[in-house]
Amino acid sequence: MNEDISIDSVQKREKSGYIIISLISLVIGIFLWWLFTEGLGTISHKIMPGPIRVFQSFFSKFYVSAPDGATLLQHLGSSLQITLLGYVIGVAIGIPLGIVMAWYPKFDLFARPVFDLLRPIPGIAWIPVMIVLFGIGLLSKGMVVFLSVFVAITINTYTGIQQTKSVHKWVSHTFGASNIYTLFHVAIPTALPMLMTGLRVALGAAWTTIIAAELLASTKGIGFMIQQSRGLFRPDIIIVGMIAIGITGSVLGWLLGLLEKRVLKGRLSKE
Amino acid sequence: MNKTFWESKWAKPISAFISIFGFLLIWHIGVNSSSLGELMPGPIDVLSRFVGSFSVNIGQYTILGHALWSLSRVAIAYSVASFAGVICGLAMGRYPKFEAAFRPYFEIIRPIPPIAWIPMAILWFGLGELTKYFLIFLAAFSNVTLNAYTGAISVDPELIGAARMLGASDNQIFRTITIPASVPHIFAGMQISLSSSWATVVAAEMVRSSEGIGWMIVSGMEINNMQQILAGIVAIGLIGYGLATFMRFLERKLLVWNERGA
Repeated sequence: MNEDISIDSVQKREKSGYIIISLISLVIGIFLWWLFTEGLGTISHKIMPGPIRVFQSFFSKFYVSAPDGATLLQHLGSSLQITLLGYVIGVAIGIPLGIVMAWYPKFDLFARPVFDLLRPIPGIAWIPVMIVLFGIGLLSKGMVVFLSVFVAITINTYTGIQQTKSVHKWVSHTFGASNIYTLFHVAIPTALPMLMTGLRVALGAAWTTIIAAELLASTKGIGFMIQQSRGLFRPDIIIVGMIAIGITGSVLGWLLGLLEKRVLKGRLSKE
Repeated sequence: MNKTFWESKWAKPISAFISIFGFLLIWHIGVNSSSLGELMPGPIDVLSRFVGSFSVNIGQYTILGHALWSLSRVAIAYSVASFAGVICGLAMGRYPKFEAAFRPYFEIIRPIPPIAWIPMAILWFGLGELTKYFLIFLAAFSNVTLNAYTGAISVDPELIGAARMLGASDNQIFRTITIPASVPHIFAGMQISLSSSWATVVAAEMVRSSEGIGWMIVSGMEINNMQQILAGIVAIGLIGYGLATFMRFLERKLLVWNERGA
Protein backbone atom coordinates (compact mmCIF):
# COMPACT_ATOMS: atom_id res chain seq x y z
CA MET A 1 0.00 0.00 0.00
CA ASN A 2 2.71 2.40 1.00
CA GLU A 3 4.69 1.51 -2.06
CA ASP A 4 1.68 2.20 -4.25
CA ILE A 5 1.33 5.67 -2.86
CA SER A 6 5.00 6.45 -3.36
CA ILE A 7 4.92 5.20 -6.96
CA ASP A 8 1.80 7.26 -7.47
CA SER A 9 3.40 10.42 -6.16
CA VAL A 10 6.52 9.86 -8.28
CA GLN A 11 4.31 9.51 -11.34
CA LYS A 12 2.47 12.66 -10.36
CA ARG A 13 5.71 14.55 -10.03
CA GLU A 14 6.84 13.29 -13.42
CA LYS A 15 3.52 14.26 -14.91
CA SER A 16 3.69 17.82 -13.61
CA GLY A 17 7.24 17.96 -15.00
CA TYR A 18 5.87 17.02 -18.41
CA ILE A 19 3.20 19.68 -18.21
CA ILE A 20 5.95 22.23 -17.63
CA ILE A 21 7.78 20.93 -20.71
CA SER A 22 4.56 21.26 -22.73
CA LEU A 23 4.06 24.81 -21.52
CA ILE A 24 7.65 25.80 -22.26
CA SER A 25 7.39 24.29 -25.74
CA LEU A 26 4.17 26.20 -26.44
CA VAL A 27 5.64 29.47 -25.16
CA ILE A 28 8.75 29.00 -27.32
CA GLY A 29 6.58 28.23 -30.34
CA ILE A 30 4.43 31.32 -29.91
CA PHE A 31 7.50 33.45 -29.25
CA LEU A 32 9.16 32.23 -32.46
CA TRP A 33 5.93 32.86 -34.35
CA TRP A 34 5.83 36.41 -32.95
CA LEU A 35 9.56 36.98 -33.54
CA PHE A 36 9.51 36.14 -37.23
CA THR A 37 6.28 37.96 -37.98
CA GLU A 38 5.70 40.96 -35.75
CA GLY A 39 9.05 41.11 -33.96
CA LEU A 40 11.53 41.19 -36.85
CA GLY A 41 9.08 41.51 -39.70
CA THR A 42 10.81 38.73 -41.67
CA ILE A 43 7.51 37.40 -42.97
CA SER A 44 4.94 39.81 -44.35
CA HIS A 45 1.58 39.87 -42.58
CA LYS A 46 0.03 39.26 -45.99
CA ILE A 47 1.55 35.76 -45.86
CA MET A 48 1.56 34.95 -42.17
CA PRO A 49 0.14 37.34 -39.59
CA GLY A 50 1.62 37.43 -36.11
CA PRO A 51 -0.07 36.11 -32.98
CA ILE A 52 -1.13 39.56 -31.72
CA ARG A 53 -2.80 40.40 -35.00
CA VAL A 54 -4.63 37.07 -35.08
CA PHE A 55 -5.73 37.56 -31.49
CA GLN A 56 -7.10 41.02 -32.24
CA SER A 57 -8.86 39.82 -35.40
CA PHE A 58 -10.40 36.95 -33.48
CA PHE A 59 -12.13 39.26 -31.04
CA SER A 60 -13.01 41.99 -33.50
CA LYS A 61 -14.54 39.38 -35.83
CA PHE A 62 -17.30 38.85 -33.27
CA TYR A 63 -18.79 42.26 -34.09
CA VAL A 64 -17.10 43.39 -37.34
CA SER A 65 -18.66 42.03 -40.51
CA ALA A 66 -15.96 43.34 -42.88
CA PRO A 67 -14.37 42.12 -45.12
CA ASP A 68 -16.65 39.20 -45.97
CA GLY A 69 -20.07 40.48 -45.03
CA ALA A 70 -20.90 38.75 -41.75
CA THR A 71 -19.56 38.32 -38.25
CA LEU A 72 -17.92 35.14 -37.05
CA LEU A 73 -21.00 33.98 -35.18
CA GLN A 74 -23.27 34.55 -38.17
CA HIS A 75 -20.97 32.45 -40.35
CA LEU A 76 -20.70 29.76 -37.71
CA GLY A 77 -24.44 29.76 -37.18
CA SER A 78 -25.09 29.28 -40.88
CA SER A 79 -22.61 26.40 -41.12
CA LEU A 80 -23.87 24.73 -37.95
CA GLN A 81 -27.48 24.96 -39.04
CA ILE A 82 -26.84 23.08 -42.28
CA THR A 83 -24.54 20.58 -40.58
CA LEU A 84 -27.09 19.72 -37.91
CA LEU A 85 -29.91 19.50 -40.42
CA GLY A 86 -28.00 17.03 -42.61
CA TYR A 87 -26.74 15.19 -39.55
CA VAL A 88 -30.13 14.66 -37.95
CA ILE A 89 -31.71 13.41 -41.17
CA GLY A 90 -28.69 11.17 -41.87
CA VAL A 91 -28.92 9.67 -38.37
CA ALA A 92 -32.69 9.25 -38.60
CA ILE A 93 -32.37 7.25 -41.82
CA GLY A 94 -28.99 5.59 -41.27
CA ILE A 95 -29.68 3.91 -37.91
CA PRO A 96 -32.91 2.15 -38.92
CA LEU A 97 -31.40 1.11 -42.26
CA GLY A 98 -28.28 -0.30 -40.58
CA ILE A 99 -30.43 -2.20 -38.06
CA VAL A 100 -32.75 -3.66 -40.69
CA MET A 101 -29.86 -4.61 -42.96
CA ALA A 102 -28.03 -6.41 -40.18
CA TRP A 103 -31.09 -8.09 -38.64
CA TYR A 104 -32.84 -9.39 -41.78
CA PRO A 105 -30.34 -11.37 -43.89
CA LYS A 106 -32.66 -11.51 -46.89
CA PHE A 107 -32.97 -7.74 -46.96
CA ASP A 108 -29.21 -7.52 -46.47
CA LEU A 109 -28.55 -9.64 -49.56
CA PHE A 110 -30.32 -7.08 -51.72
CA ALA A 111 -29.50 -3.81 -49.95
CA ARG A 112 -25.82 -4.44 -49.30
CA PRO A 113 -24.58 -4.54 -52.93
CA VAL A 114 -26.09 -1.15 -53.77
CA PHE A 115 -24.81 0.26 -50.51
CA ASP A 116 -21.31 -1.10 -51.16
CA LEU A 117 -21.44 0.48 -54.59
CA LEU A 118 -21.98 3.96 -53.14
CA ARG A 119 -19.84 3.58 -50.03
CA PRO A 120 -16.32 4.23 -51.38
CA ILE A 121 -17.33 7.60 -52.81
CA PRO A 122 -16.31 10.34 -50.36
CA GLY A 123 -19.10 12.77 -49.47
CA ILE A 124 -17.08 15.64 -50.90
CA ALA A 125 -17.29 14.18 -54.41
CA TRP A 126 -21.08 14.61 -54.40
CA ILE A 127 -20.79 18.39 -54.06
CA PRO A 128 -20.79 19.14 -57.83
CA VAL A 129 -23.77 16.83 -58.42
CA MET A 130 -25.79 18.48 -55.69
CA ILE A 131 -24.87 21.97 -56.87
CA VAL A 132 -26.01 21.20 -60.40
CA LEU A 133 -29.23 19.64 -59.10
CA PHE A 134 -30.15 22.02 -56.30
CA GLY A 135 -28.10 25.21 -56.76
CA ILE A 136 -25.81 26.58 -54.06
CA GLY A 137 -28.36 27.05 -51.30
CA LEU A 138 -29.15 25.18 -48.13
CA LEU A 139 -30.59 22.14 -49.90
CA SER A 140 -27.47 21.17 -51.85
CA LYS A 141 -25.17 21.47 -48.85
CA GLY A 142 -27.63 19.71 -46.62
CA MET A 143 -27.78 16.83 -49.10
CA VAL A 144 -23.99 16.50 -49.23
CA VAL A 145 -23.76 16.48 -45.43
CA PHE A 146 -26.60 14.00 -45.29
CA LEU A 147 -24.83 11.60 -47.67
CA SER A 148 -21.56 11.59 -45.77
CA VAL A 149 -23.34 11.16 -42.41
CA PHE A 150 -25.68 8.49 -43.68
CA VAL A 151 -22.90 6.21 -44.96
CA ALA A 152 -20.86 6.38 -41.74
CA ILE A 153 -23.89 5.82 -39.49
CA THR A 154 -25.27 2.92 -41.49
CA ILE A 155 -21.94 1.05 -41.57
CA ASN A 156 -21.37 1.42 -37.85
CA THR A 157 -24.90 0.44 -36.87
CA TYR A 158 -24.70 -2.55 -39.21
CA THR A 159 -21.37 -3.70 -37.75
CA GLY A 160 -22.66 -3.17 -34.21
CA ILE A 161 -25.77 -5.29 -34.71
CA GLN A 162 -23.75 -8.02 -36.39
CA GLN A 163 -21.53 -8.24 -33.32
CA THR A 164 -24.42 -9.75 -31.35
CA LYS A 165 -23.28 -13.17 -30.19
CA SER A 166 -25.30 -16.05 -31.59
CA VAL A 167 -25.43 -17.59 -28.12
CA HIS A 168 -27.25 -14.53 -26.80
CA LYS A 169 -29.77 -14.77 -29.62
CA TRP A 170 -30.31 -18.49 -28.99
CA VAL A 171 -30.83 -17.92 -25.28
CA SER A 172 -33.37 -15.22 -26.05
CA HIS A 173 -35.22 -17.44 -28.53
CA THR A 174 -35.12 -20.44 -26.20
CA PHE A 175 -36.85 -18.42 -23.52
CA GLY A 176 -39.58 -17.65 -25.97
CA ALA A 177 -38.68 -14.13 -27.05
CA SER A 178 -39.89 -13.08 -30.47
CA ASN A 179 -37.51 -11.93 -33.17
CA ILE A 180 -38.47 -8.29 -32.64
CA TYR A 181 -38.12 -8.57 -28.86
CA THR A 182 -34.64 -10.08 -29.29
CA LEU A 183 -33.71 -7.25 -31.62
CA PHE A 184 -34.71 -4.54 -29.17
CA HIS A 185 -33.53 -6.17 -25.96
CA VAL A 186 -30.43 -8.06 -27.09
CA ALA A 187 -29.06 -6.83 -30.41
CA ILE A 188 -29.57 -3.08 -30.13
CA PRO A 189 -28.06 -2.83 -26.62
CA THR A 190 -25.09 -4.84 -27.94
CA ALA A 191 -24.73 -2.43 -30.82
CA LEU A 192 -24.91 0.76 -28.75
CA PRO A 193 -21.16 1.37 -28.30
CA MET A 194 -20.56 0.85 -32.03
CA LEU A 195 -23.52 3.07 -32.79
CA MET A 196 -22.08 5.85 -30.65
CA THR A 197 -18.77 5.50 -32.50
CA GLY A 198 -20.73 5.90 -35.72
CA LEU A 199 -22.38 9.07 -34.41
CA ARG A 200 -18.96 10.47 -33.57
CA VAL A 201 -17.32 9.56 -36.88
CA ALA A 202 -20.31 10.93 -38.77
CA LEU A 203 -20.18 14.22 -36.89
CA GLY A 204 -16.54 14.70 -37.89
CA ALA A 205 -17.38 13.82 -41.48
CA ALA A 206 -20.33 16.23 -41.50
CA TRP A 207 -18.23 19.11 -40.20
CA THR A 208 -15.46 18.47 -42.75
CA THR A 209 -17.94 18.14 -45.60
CA ILE A 210 -19.75 21.39 -44.88
CA ILE A 211 -16.44 23.26 -44.85
CA ALA A 212 -15.51 21.76 -48.22
CA ALA A 213 -18.93 22.58 -49.68
CA GLU A 214 -18.66 26.17 -48.51
CA LEU A 215 -15.14 26.53 -49.86
CA LEU A 216 -16.37 25.48 -53.25
CA ALA A 217 -19.56 27.44 -53.71
CA SER A 218 -21.37 29.46 -51.10
CA THR A 219 -22.43 32.91 -50.03
CA LYS A 220 -22.00 32.50 -46.28
CA GLY A 221 -20.66 30.11 -43.70
CA ILE A 222 -17.30 29.63 -42.09
CA GLY A 223 -15.77 27.91 -45.14
CA PHE A 224 -16.93 30.81 -47.29
CA MET A 225 -15.32 33.22 -44.85
CA ILE A 226 -11.86 31.66 -45.10
CA GLN A 227 -12.11 31.29 -48.87
CA GLN A 228 -13.09 34.96 -49.26
CA SER A 229 -10.29 36.06 -46.95
CA ARG A 230 -7.78 34.30 -49.16
CA GLY A 231 -8.83 36.39 -52.14
CA LEU A 232 -8.66 39.52 -50.00
CA PHE A 233 -5.21 38.63 -48.61
CA ARG A 234 -6.44 38.60 -45.03
CA PRO A 235 -4.65 35.53 -43.63
CA ASP A 236 -5.46 36.70 -40.10
CA ILE A 237 -9.15 36.05 -40.83
CA ILE A 238 -8.27 32.67 -42.36
CA ILE A 239 -6.48 31.67 -39.17
CA VAL A 240 -9.37 32.98 -37.07
CA GLY A 241 -11.70 30.84 -39.17
CA MET A 242 -9.49 27.77 -38.82
CA ILE A 243 -9.37 28.24 -35.04
CA ALA A 244 -13.15 28.60 -34.97
CA ILE A 245 -13.52 25.44 -37.08
CA GLY A 246 -11.21 23.51 -34.76
CA ILE A 247 -12.92 24.71 -31.58
CA THR A 248 -16.41 24.07 -32.91
CA GLY A 249 -15.44 20.57 -34.03
CA SER A 250 -13.99 19.81 -30.60
CA VAL A 251 -17.03 21.21 -28.77
CA LEU A 252 -19.42 19.16 -30.89
CA GLY A 253 -17.32 16.05 -30.22
CA TRP A 254 -17.31 16.84 -26.51
CA LEU A 255 -21.10 17.23 -26.40
CA LEU A 256 -21.47 13.89 -28.12
CA GLY A 257 -19.07 12.41 -25.56
CA LEU A 258 -21.40 13.59 -22.77
CA LEU A 259 -24.33 11.92 -24.49
CA GLU A 260 -22.27 8.78 -24.94
CA LYS A 261 -21.51 8.63 -21.22
CA ARG A 262 -25.20 8.90 -20.37
CA VAL A 263 -26.31 6.30 -22.91
CA LEU A 264 -23.55 3.79 -22.28
CA LYS A 265 -23.62 3.89 -18.47
CA GLY A 266 -21.21 1.13 -17.55
CA ARG A 267 -21.77 -0.74 -20.78
CA LEU A 268 -18.23 -0.25 -22.03
CA SER A 269 -16.65 -1.49 -18.83
CA LYS A 270 -18.64 -4.73 -18.98
CA GLU A 271 -17.12 -5.70 -22.31
CA MET B 1 -36.93 -24.74 -52.36
CA ASN B 2 -37.08 -21.39 -50.66
CA LYS B 3 -34.89 -22.29 -47.74
CA THR B 4 -32.31 -24.12 -49.81
CA PHE B 5 -32.01 -21.18 -52.18
CA TRP B 6 -31.28 -18.68 -49.40
CA GLU B 7 -28.63 -20.93 -47.98
CA SER B 8 -27.00 -21.93 -51.27
CA LYS B 9 -23.81 -20.34 -52.49
CA TRP B 10 -25.74 -18.76 -55.36
CA ALA B 11 -27.85 -16.58 -53.09
CA LYS B 12 -25.20 -13.92 -52.75
CA PRO B 13 -24.16 -13.32 -56.38
CA ILE B 14 -27.71 -13.65 -57.70
CA SER B 15 -29.20 -11.21 -55.20
CA ALA B 16 -26.29 -8.82 -55.75
CA PHE B 17 -26.93 -8.91 -59.49
CA ILE B 18 -30.67 -8.42 -59.04
CA SER B 19 -30.23 -5.53 -56.62
CA ILE B 20 -27.66 -3.64 -58.67
CA PHE B 21 -29.61 -4.26 -61.85
CA GLY B 22 -32.76 -3.08 -60.08
CA PHE B 23 -31.00 0.04 -58.85
CA LEU B 24 -29.83 0.89 -62.38
CA LEU B 25 -33.26 0.08 -63.79
CA ILE B 26 -35.01 2.43 -61.33
CA TRP B 27 -32.45 5.11 -62.16
CA HIS B 28 -32.99 4.55 -65.89
CA ILE B 29 -36.79 4.64 -65.67
CA GLY B 30 -36.79 7.59 -63.28
CA VAL B 31 -34.63 9.63 -65.62
CA ASN B 32 -36.41 8.71 -68.81
CA SER B 33 -39.99 9.08 -67.68
CA SER B 34 -39.90 12.30 -65.69
CA SER B 35 -38.59 15.84 -65.83
CA LEU B 36 -35.59 14.68 -63.81
CA GLY B 37 -34.10 13.62 -67.15
CA GLU B 38 -33.40 17.23 -68.05
CA LEU B 39 -30.85 17.46 -65.23
CA MET B 40 -29.78 13.92 -64.69
CA PRO B 41 -28.34 11.54 -67.30
CA GLY B 42 -29.31 7.88 -67.11
CA PRO B 43 -26.99 5.03 -66.15
CA ILE B 44 -26.31 4.05 -69.77
CA ASP B 45 -25.20 7.59 -70.63
CA VAL B 46 -22.93 7.74 -67.60
CA LEU B 47 -21.35 4.35 -68.22
CA SER B 48 -20.78 5.01 -71.91
CA ARG B 49 -19.32 8.39 -71.03
CA PHE B 50 -17.08 6.72 -68.43
CA VAL B 51 -15.82 4.16 -70.93
CA GLY B 52 -15.55 6.76 -73.69
CA SER B 53 -13.45 9.10 -71.57
CA PHE B 54 -10.64 6.55 -71.64
CA SER B 55 -10.03 7.52 -75.26
CA VAL B 56 -11.45 11.07 -75.47
CA ASN B 57 -9.67 13.91 -73.67
CA ILE B 58 -11.42 15.89 -70.96
CA GLY B 59 -9.42 19.08 -70.67
CA GLN B 60 -5.81 18.08 -71.27
CA TYR B 61 -5.92 14.39 -70.44
CA THR B 62 -8.08 11.31 -70.68
CA ILE B 63 -9.75 10.07 -67.52
CA LEU B 64 -6.81 7.74 -67.00
CA GLY B 65 -4.43 10.69 -67.11
CA HIS B 66 -6.48 12.60 -64.53
CA ALA B 67 -6.62 9.56 -62.27
CA LEU B 68 -2.85 9.13 -62.54
CA TRP B 69 -2.31 12.79 -61.66
CA SER B 70 -4.42 12.45 -58.52
CA LEU B 71 -2.85 9.13 -57.60
CA SER B 72 0.69 10.42 -58.03
CA ARG B 73 -0.08 13.33 -55.71
CA VAL B 74 -1.43 10.94 -53.10
CA ALA B 75 1.50 8.55 -53.55
CA ILE B 76 4.15 11.19 -52.95
CA ALA B 77 2.59 13.06 -50.05
CA TYR B 78 1.15 9.96 -48.44
CA SER B 79 4.50 8.15 -48.37
CA VAL B 80 6.24 11.15 -46.83
CA ALA B 81 3.45 11.59 -44.28
CA SER B 82 3.41 7.90 -43.33
CA PHE B 83 7.16 7.84 -42.90
CA ALA B 84 7.19 11.02 -40.79
CA GLY B 85 4.12 9.92 -38.87
CA VAL B 86 5.54 6.53 -37.93
CA ILE B 87 8.79 8.10 -36.73
CA CYS B 88 6.98 10.84 -34.82
CA GLY B 89 4.50 8.46 -33.22
CA LEU B 90 7.14 5.95 -32.16
CA ALA B 91 9.37 8.74 -30.84
CA MET B 92 6.45 10.08 -28.82
CA GLY B 93 5.94 6.64 -27.35
CA ARG B 94 9.64 6.15 -26.65
CA TYR B 95 10.59 9.56 -25.21
CA PRO B 96 7.96 11.04 -22.87
CA LYS B 97 9.77 14.39 -22.95
CA PHE B 98 9.45 14.58 -26.70
CA GLU B 99 5.79 13.70 -26.35
CA ALA B 100 5.32 16.47 -23.77
CA ALA B 101 6.90 19.03 -26.08
CA PHE B 102 5.18 17.89 -29.25
CA ARG B 103 1.73 17.02 -27.97
CA PRO B 104 0.29 20.56 -27.53
CA TYR B 105 0.90 21.38 -31.20
CA PHE B 106 -0.53 18.08 -32.23
CA GLU B 107 -3.67 18.68 -30.17
CA ILE B 108 -4.10 22.17 -31.61
CA ILE B 109 -3.74 21.10 -35.23
CA ARG B 110 -5.60 17.79 -35.10
CA PRO B 111 -9.18 19.06 -34.71
CA ILE B 112 -8.86 21.27 -37.81
CA PRO B 113 -9.90 19.26 -40.86
CA PRO B 114 -7.22 19.25 -43.59
CA ILE B 115 -9.71 20.80 -46.00
CA ALA B 116 -9.87 23.92 -43.84
CA TRP B 117 -6.16 24.43 -44.60
CA ILE B 118 -6.82 24.88 -48.32
CA PRO B 119 -7.00 28.72 -48.35
CA MET B 120 -3.92 29.06 -46.11
CA ALA B 121 -1.99 26.49 -48.13
CA ILE B 122 -2.76 28.33 -51.36
CA LEU B 123 -1.57 31.58 -49.81
CA TRP B 124 1.66 29.97 -48.64
CA PHE B 125 2.53 27.63 -51.49
CA GLY B 126 0.68 29.09 -54.47
CA LEU B 127 -1.48 27.10 -56.82
CA GLY B 128 1.08 24.42 -57.68
CA GLU B 129 1.77 20.90 -56.58
CA LEU B 130 3.23 21.85 -53.21
CA THR B 131 -0.18 22.95 -51.93
CA LYS B 132 -1.71 19.57 -52.70
CA TYR B 133 1.22 17.71 -51.15
CA PHE B 134 0.89 19.81 -48.03
CA LEU B 135 -2.84 19.10 -47.71
CA ILE B 136 -2.48 15.36 -48.27
CA PHE B 137 0.39 15.31 -45.81
CA LEU B 138 -1.85 16.91 -43.18
CA ALA B 139 -4.64 14.45 -43.91
CA ALA B 140 -2.38 11.43 -43.48
CA PHE B 141 0.13 12.53 -40.87
CA SER B 142 -2.02 12.89 -37.74
CA ASN B 143 -3.76 9.52 -38.11
CA VAL B 144 -0.52 7.63 -38.68
CA THR B 145 1.19 9.43 -35.81
CA LEU B 146 -1.64 8.82 -33.41
CA ASN B 147 -1.86 5.13 -34.27
CA ALA B 148 1.89 4.59 -34.09
CA TYR B 149 1.88 6.30 -30.70
CA THR B 150 -1.04 4.19 -29.45
CA GLY B 151 0.74 1.09 -30.69
CA ALA B 152 3.95 2.04 -28.95
CA ILE B 153 2.37 2.69 -25.54
CA SER B 154 -0.11 -0.18 -25.54
CA VAL B 155 2.45 -2.97 -25.77
CA ASP B 156 1.68 -5.81 -23.38
CA PRO B 157 3.51 -4.76 -20.18
CA GLU B 158 4.22 -8.41 -19.36
CA LEU B 159 6.37 -8.72 -22.46
CA ILE B 160 8.36 -5.65 -21.50
CA GLY B 161 8.66 -6.86 -17.91
CA ALA B 162 9.91 -10.25 -19.06
CA ALA B 163 12.47 -8.68 -21.38
CA ARG B 164 13.65 -6.32 -18.67
CA MET B 165 13.98 -9.17 -16.21
CA LEU B 166 16.18 -10.99 -18.71
CA GLY B 167 18.43 -7.94 -18.82
CA ALA B 168 17.36 -6.19 -22.01
CA SER B 169 18.17 -2.50 -22.25
CA ASP B 170 15.55 0.13 -23.04
CA ASN B 171 16.81 0.38 -26.60
CA GLN B 172 16.67 -3.36 -27.11
CA ILE B 173 13.13 -3.49 -25.74
CA PHE B 174 12.11 -0.70 -28.09
CA ARG B 175 13.70 -2.33 -31.15
CA THR B 176 12.67 -5.91 -30.58
CA ILE B 177 9.35 -5.59 -28.75
CA THR B 178 7.74 -2.18 -29.10
CA ILE B 179 8.25 -1.68 -32.83
CA PRO B 180 7.00 -5.11 -33.95
CA ALA B 181 4.09 -4.93 -31.53
CA SER B 182 2.94 -1.57 -32.85
CA VAL B 183 2.97 -2.59 -36.52
CA PRO B 184 -0.72 -3.64 -36.57
CA HIS B 185 -1.72 -0.27 -35.12
CA ILE B 186 0.45 1.53 -37.64
CA PHE B 187 -1.21 -0.40 -40.43
CA ALA B 188 -4.65 0.51 -39.15
CA GLY B 189 -3.62 4.16 -39.11
CA MET B 190 -2.21 3.94 -42.61
CA GLN B 191 -5.46 2.45 -43.92
CA ILE B 192 -7.57 5.27 -42.50
CA SER B 193 -5.03 7.80 -43.74
CA LEU B 194 -5.07 6.46 -47.26
CA SER B 195 -8.81 6.90 -47.65
CA SER B 196 -8.75 10.36 -46.08
CA SER B 197 -5.81 11.28 -48.37
CA TRP B 198 -7.90 10.23 -51.33
CA ALA B 199 -10.85 12.35 -50.21
CA THR B 200 -8.52 15.28 -49.54
CA VAL B 201 -6.83 15.20 -52.93
CA VAL B 202 -10.25 15.25 -54.58
CA ALA B 203 -11.27 18.25 -52.46
CA ALA B 204 -8.00 20.10 -53.09
CA GLU B 205 -8.30 19.56 -56.82
CA MET B 206 -11.88 20.72 -56.74
CA VAL B 207 -10.95 24.02 -55.12
CA ARG B 208 -7.98 24.86 -57.33
CA SER B 209 -6.33 22.76 -59.98
CA SER B 210 -6.01 22.25 -63.70
CA GLU B 211 -5.89 18.47 -63.78
CA GLY B 212 -6.87 15.44 -61.71
CA ILE B 213 -10.12 13.67 -60.94
CA GLY B 214 -11.30 16.44 -58.62
CA TRP B 215 -10.78 18.97 -61.41
CA MET B 216 -12.72 16.72 -63.75
CA ILE B 217 -15.89 16.76 -61.64
CA VAL B 218 -15.68 20.43 -60.78
CA SER B 219 -15.18 21.45 -64.41
CA GLY B 220 -18.18 19.27 -65.23
CA MET B 221 -20.09 21.36 -62.70
CA GLU B 222 -18.94 24.61 -64.29
CA ILE B 223 -20.07 23.62 -67.78
CA ASN B 224 -23.21 21.92 -66.41
CA ASN B 225 -22.15 18.55 -67.78
CA MET B 226 -23.64 16.02 -65.43
CA GLN B 227 -22.27 13.07 -67.41
CA GLN B 228 -18.73 14.24 -66.85
CA ILE B 229 -19.35 14.70 -63.11
CA LEU B 230 -20.90 11.27 -62.71
CA ALA B 231 -18.19 9.60 -64.80
CA GLY B 232 -15.65 11.25 -62.49
CA ILE B 233 -17.52 10.03 -59.42
CA VAL B 234 -17.51 6.49 -60.80
CA ALA B 235 -13.72 6.76 -61.16
CA ILE B 236 -13.34 8.21 -57.64
CA GLY B 237 -15.39 5.37 -56.17
CA LEU B 238 -13.52 2.69 -58.12
CA ILE B 239 -10.10 4.04 -57.14
CA GLY B 240 -11.15 4.51 -53.51
CA TYR B 241 -12.36 0.93 -53.44
CA GLY B 242 -9.18 -0.26 -55.16
CA LEU B 243 -6.93 1.52 -52.66
CA ALA B 244 -8.80 0.07 -49.68
CA THR B 245 -8.67 -3.42 -51.14
CA PHE B 246 -4.97 -3.04 -51.87
CA MET B 247 -4.26 -2.04 -48.26
CA ARG B 248 -6.24 -5.01 -46.95
CA PHE B 249 -4.31 -7.29 -49.30
CA LEU B 250 -1.00 -5.86 -48.09
CA GLU B 251 -2.06 -6.32 -44.49
CA ARG B 252 -3.02 -9.93 -45.11
CA LYS B 253 0.32 -10.62 -46.77
CA LEU B 254 2.58 -8.72 -44.39
CA LEU B 255 0.81 -9.24 -41.08
CA VAL B 256 -0.12 -12.88 -41.32
CA TRP B 257 0.19 -13.30 -37.56
CA ASN B 258 -2.24 -10.54 -36.76
CA GLU B 259 -5.29 -10.25 -38.93
CA ARG B 260 -7.76 -7.78 -37.54
CA GLY B 261 -11.43 -8.48 -37.59
CA ALA B 262 -11.03 -11.76 -39.44
